[in-house]
Amino acid sequence: MGAVTDDEVIRKRLLIDGDGAGDDRRINLLVKSFIKWCNAGSQEEGYSQYQRMLSTLSQCEFSMGKTLLVYDMNLREMENYEKIYKDIENSIAGAHEKIAECKKQILQAKRIRKNRQEYDALAKVIQHHPDRHETLKELDALGKELQHLSHIKENVEDKLELRRKQFHVLLSTIHELQQTLENDEKLSEVEEAQEASMETEMKP
Amino acid sequence: MGVGGPQAQRTLGRGHPGGSSWSGSRRRVEKGPCPPGAGSGMSGGGGELWVTPVSAPPQMEVQRALERLHMTIFSQSVSPCGKFLAAGNNYGQIAIFSLSAALSSEAKEESKKPVVTFVAHDGPVYSLVSTDRHLLSAGDGEVKAWLWGEILKKGCKEVWSRHPPYRSSLEVPEINALLLNPKENSLLLAGGDCHLHSMDLETGTFTRALRGHTDYIHCLALRERSPEVLSGSEDGTVRLWDLRTGEEVQTIEVYRHEECARPQNGKWIGCLATDSDWMVCGGGPALTLWHLRSATPTTVFPLRAPQKHVTFYQDLILSAGQGPCVNQWQLSGELKAQVPGSSSSLLSLSLNQQPAAPECKVLTAAGNSCRVDVFTNLGYRAFSLSFS
Repeated sequence: MGAVTDDEVIRKRLLIDGDGAGDDRRINLLVKSFIKWCNAGSQEEGYSQYQRMLSTLSQCEFSMGKTLLVYDMNLREMENYEKIYKDIENSIAGAHEKIAECKKQILQAKRIRKNRQEYDALAKVIQHHPDRHETLKELDALGKELQHLSHIKENVEDKLELRRKQFHVLLSTIHELQQTLENDEKLSEVEEAQEASMETEMKP
Repeated sequence: MGVGGPQAQRTLGRGHPGGSSWSGSRRRVEKGPCPPGAGSGMSGGGGELWVTPVSAPPQMEVQRALERLHMTIFSQSVSPCGKFLAAGNNYGQIAIFSLSAALSSEAKEESKKPVVTFVAHDGPVYSLVSTDRHLLSAGDGEVKAWLWGEILKKGCKEVWSRHPPYRSSLEVPEINALLLNPKENSLLLAGGDCHLHSMDLETGTFTRALRGHTDYIHCLALRERSPEVLSGSEDGTVRLWDLRTGEEVQTIEVYRHEECARPQNGKWIGCLATDSDWMVCGGGPALTLWHLRSATPTTVFPLRAPQKHVTFYQDLILSAGQGPCVNQWQLSGELKAQVPGSSSSLLSLSLNQQPAAPECKVLTAAGNSCRVDVFTNLGYRAFSLSFS
């Protein structure tokens, strides 16, 4: 496809300007008019043709100068673009490095955040349990109360023992007294029986 | 997928919330009715099928379309070079996808199809794991190993195939979870027979069986700092085993803690992940973060759906389960993002963090459809790979 259009283009250009465009044509015309001038007849015609040739020549020189300037300009533009290109490449490389650096920082920050969240999670669980100092204080208080109460219990038990012993003594003394009274009664009964039997023996 | 579309209609059977066992002890999955048998088995299964008699499609295409409809992808694993992803489905097939081709800038539709698919097991492939040279796949009772270097060629044969010593030879329990222990170069298997078996990868002998669970084991996790394994099972406990002595170190009964127990879902532990000091587990009970040393639940993640896969990633916890989304949680219990995938519920997540292929660093999620979703950035689903 490219080859066909190239042919088309070449054909069209050849048809349109047979000798070449613009400057080429001018140089060809210059050569033709120089030959015509050499073969010219009258002085005036020759002079006007000479003027025309000079003007054509200056036009050619002018366009030549223009082309040279354009060429210089293009070269300088190229250098400028090269410089800009290099600058941009450097800044791209710099940006790549910064990106890598930032990625490392992100990883670090994520690790830190993970640690913080783990800490928070554990802290929440720990908060549910009561403070150690308070628990120790409560334990102390309870211990003291326990001691106090056991002290009281001991006292009460001692008192109870004492009363029991006293009651025991009382009861045993009562029993002894009872025994003694019973013994005495028996003795007195026996004596009365003896006296009664002695009296019945003495009567008849 | 357009083959089955205009020509066959199907009413989908009822879904199974919370899973149910079809035969024996199986993993909890949401499955439609069982896929129809070969050829004329269209009346099998729980749905109805109408084929409009306009143009009779070949039986094979309808069969294939139905297979795609009922496919569940149970497991995934990334190759050691990081450029390939293996996915195992419920028909026993393993498909190898080329991640580097699918992620490249000239990816076409064909790059999202598997590079090669082969039938690995008779039953479903429940678990896949990769060592630095082999792909290990486990299904109903056996573990097979395939060479990653050979796997892309057609007609690949397994390097070896073993099955752990089961007590009774009548029932062949499935292997639900595989775990590599690189320090001892051994493989831990756990599944339907309620024990963890440890197999030495060099000699292929089964060294130890850790007994203690009373129901089948769903998932395993390895604690890096101390050589301990955690196993989560259907009986609701997470047990920690010391690998050096083979003894059970600790039992955590998750369902007894009121903060996380959800008796309406059951007490099964579907997913486990550990970070040496912390552990996340979920399933029947709510997804909870535990502090392992004190065995206390610290954060309960407020999600109703039971989760089937969970993993730690940087400072986030990623989880997926019933429901089409991949959930991203912060350790404080906040939901950071919920990114929907293309399957209606997800069964496995895989993070490709292989250092050899940093350009293929993606999260892939697969579940009860024939598609594997690829997330290049955790915020959105980039595209889906399809099983065929």
